[in-house]
Amino acid sequence: MNNNLIIGMAGAGGDGVVSAGDSLITALALDKYHAILTKSFGPQIRGGESSFKLRVSTKQVRSIGEHLDLAIALNWDDFLKFGAELPISEKTIVIYDSNTGIEPENIPIKGKPARVFSIPIEEMAIKTAKTNRAKNVVVLGLISGWYGIAESGIITGIRNKFTKKGAEVLKGNEDAFYEGVRYAKENPISSGDIKLAQPLADAKLKLLTDGNDICAAAAIFAGCEFFGGYPITPSSEIMQLLSREIWKYSGVTVQMEDEIAGVASAVGGSFAGKKSLTATSGPGMSLKSEIFGLATMAELPLVIVNVQRGGPSTGIPTKSEQSDLFQAVFSAHGDVVRPVLAPIDVEDVFTMTVEAFNIAEYYQTPVIVLSDAELAQRKEVIDDIDVSKFKILNRKKPTEAELENYVRFKFTDDNISPISHPGMPKGNYLAAGIEHTETGAPTSGGEMHAKMIEKRTKKLDPIKKRSDLFITYGDAKAEIALISWGSCAGVAMEACDLANEAGIKVKLLIPKLIYPIAESVYNDFFKSVKKGLVVEQNYLGQLFHVIRMFVSTPDGLKPFSKAGSNPFGAIEIFEKLKAL
Amino acid sequence: MSTATTEFVAKDFKSDLKPIWCPGCGDFGVLTALYRALAEIGKAPHDLAFISGIGCSSRIPGYSTAYGFNAVHGRALPISLGVKTSNPDLTVIVASGDGDGFSIGGGHVPHIIRKNPDITFLVMDNFIYGLTKGQVSPTSGKGLKTVSTPYGSMEERVNPLLYTLSYGAKFVAQGTPADMKGLAKILEEAIRFPGFAFVNIQSPCVTYGEERDMIKGQKEYMKNLEEMNHDTSNKAKAIEIALEYGDSIHTGILYRDPNPGPSYTDLIKNLQEESKSKAVAKDKILEMFRPRLK
Repeated sequence: MNNNLIIGMAGAGGDGVVSAGDSLITALALDKYHAILTKSFGPQIRGGESSFKLRVSTKQVRSIGEHLDLAIALNWDDFLKFGAELPISEKTIVIYDSNTGIEPENIPIKGKPARVFSIPIEEMAIKTAKTNRAKNVVVLGLISGWYGIAESGIITGIRNKFTKKGAEVLKGNEDAFYEGVRYAKENPISSGDIKLAQPLADAKLKLLTDGNDICAAAAIFAGCEFFGGYPITPSSEIMQLLSREIWKYSGVTVQMEDEIAGVASAVGGSFAGKKSLTATSGPGMSLKSEIFGLATMAELPLVIVNVQRGGPSTGIPTKSEQSDLFQAVFSAHGDVVRPVLAPIDVEDVFTMTVEAFNIAEYYQTPVIVLSDAELAQRKEVIDDIDVSKFKILNRKKPTEAELENYVRFKFTDDNISPISHPGMPKGNYLAAGIEHTETGAPTSGGEMHAKMIEKRTKKLDPIKKRSDLFITYGDAKAEIALISWGSCAGVAMEACDLANEAGIKVKLLIPKLIYPIAESVYNDFFKSVKKGLVVEQNYLGQLFHVIRMFVSTPDGLKPFSKAGSNPFGAIEIFEKLKAL
Repeated sequence: MSTATTEFVAKDFKSDLKPIWCPGCGDFGVLTALYRALAEIGKAPHDLAFISGIGCSSRIPGYSTAYGFNAVHGRALPISLGVKTSNPDLTVIVASGDGDGFSIGGGHVPHIIRKNPDITFLVMDNFIYGLTKGQVSPTSGKGLKTVSTPYGSMEERVNPLLYTLSYGAKFVAQGTPADMKGLAKILEEAIRFPGFAFVNIQSPCVTYGEERDMIKGQKEYMKNLEEMNHDTSNKAKAIEIALEYGDSIHTGILYRDPNPGPSYTDLIKNLQEESKSKAVAKDKILEMFRPRLK
């Protein structure tokens, strides 16, 4: 019996590799398994090689995992193009299409997999469906047969997909699937029982989505009514889902002429009283940053999602990296504190997006959500989210009494001044990027400038006490620590588990609040710590350095940071921990 | 668009802030004409939003009792689009200058024109950067000597009238504080126009401008389009007139689309109205991610 299974498959464009991955994860989600699916493509817009990697488990999976349990090559040229993305170890079972004409002992891969099988995939497809386009369906049958999973889901999927194409096509595909199942049962690939365990009896209903789509849904849930943006990989799906849905909720999506216009329109939407969002990636962040300063200065709520990709400049647009942390924290000129949140998985993208709107609205500030290509593009099966537990905050509006002599930027005890919006009688005021007095009148006086900076900074102080925006994990008294954030956090959790299971006491801190630095949370965490690693996917160790600007860290705490685009593996982190 | 609900007079739109402009600046006249136009339209100040960028002209929002947003250089147009689409009931007016509107913010002009929201775009065109003290601007004439072109400008000027007409603006006009009555009327017409309306205002810079461009100088080469019996629905003729930009000052409406059709803001309202019934409750929004076998 298996509790955990990692499958990788690659083929040429038209082989339906990605569609097989989608069918499989959907069927697994319906059966209430946990799973993560990543897809990878060649640089071509259409056609070209494609692959998927799928990890399925009876328990929550925190990362896509490392080495494959099952590797499937429809042809070797295309499989090899995915190199590090589909890693093979001595535990991997490799299957490939016999039509490649290669003997199992001659397959062109490095290392020695556990077992290798040449399987007549194309032959079975042609025999049943009369087309080699059904190769992917045969493979689904093989997987279903060997691991005892997803049979009813996949066959229902085949029926839904092919019924409209006529009885003959439908029958052909059904036959192709069952041919795969039959072949698997007659030709086991392991002497042991490799069947995947049944999902837990109390498993919850599942949702299947990715980090971009759930971000857009979270925005609507949080009450977002304005989105302004510009297409950019890997964030465009946020704009796309909103352009489909937001109108139903009296909202607006505008695709603007450039990144600056995108964020500028969102600031306009916020000034007009609507919860507003823009989403982009690194290059767009660079362009937008002047307007982030404007939102800080005019005290306008605004949520900015940065789906990070490899940088600088054009960098690697389709691959993940966590290298925009410095930018998120420090961009825009002047003395600025701007909250930055980082979700750790697809479900958390929902939570952090709602949180970002709450913080933005309550504190009247721009808030950056640092997602990344990994979270944005991976499909994840997640437990149903109980949305009733979320509180939605709105900006504080002036009372009737306050409107009698309205002072927009009034100094208050909590430094938050009630905010009106155009259309609200008696709330008229001047919003400005120029320094201003309490009424909004422009000023160049140093004294007022200092007071206003203090107001805009101090109003955010309570955020530093938000220990609920941190996860502490592992052995609370451990002397060895891990700190990790964003999409790396899941792997760090797995590494922490590996260490503790191996008898090395380790604890892990995951800040979802990246900035402002919650000094007391870090100080508490470091009390027992002598050494450790800050694990993040950037070259410079950006979180490591930002923490150290505000907190004295233990001497033995070191950065473990590497540039994208190949993700960390739990074993890799565990090995590094052992070597400390 | 707007219907008067209460009687307003010009001073209802005048704030307590004292303009920082140089004595004699053309923008004083523009502001006065604007107050008058707004009083004629009769919409309450709280239903008006003035959006601006940076420059002398961009100070205008602060001098009005309406809601105002004096934002960053060059971005007033996209900000105004966010404001108007978020609340189509507002009257949204952008106050800009030749540098703010046609240089740093020039890239936004074609796009807001093709979207055609119901926004009024006022450019106080003085052929110079005033606030930064006298550098060459996108509408400066070729050969103009300024602090940044000590040997004379080597560039052709942008023609704001031709530029906006070519991109398809449905309302293009030009005015000057040298004709206050005419300017107030043009502004009123522009604000009332149900779509994107552009008014180029020849507002002289008394500190860095040329003698020829001062109020007195302008009067010699002003041409009143109404007196010329110009047909405002004739776009070809409007383009012909626009070509004289820089040589003459035509005042009045060059072009007004007689059949402007629905604005961008109207289309947005329609789509929202049509879509409403398809909304699932927000607490059921995640149902869209329920696994489905395709």
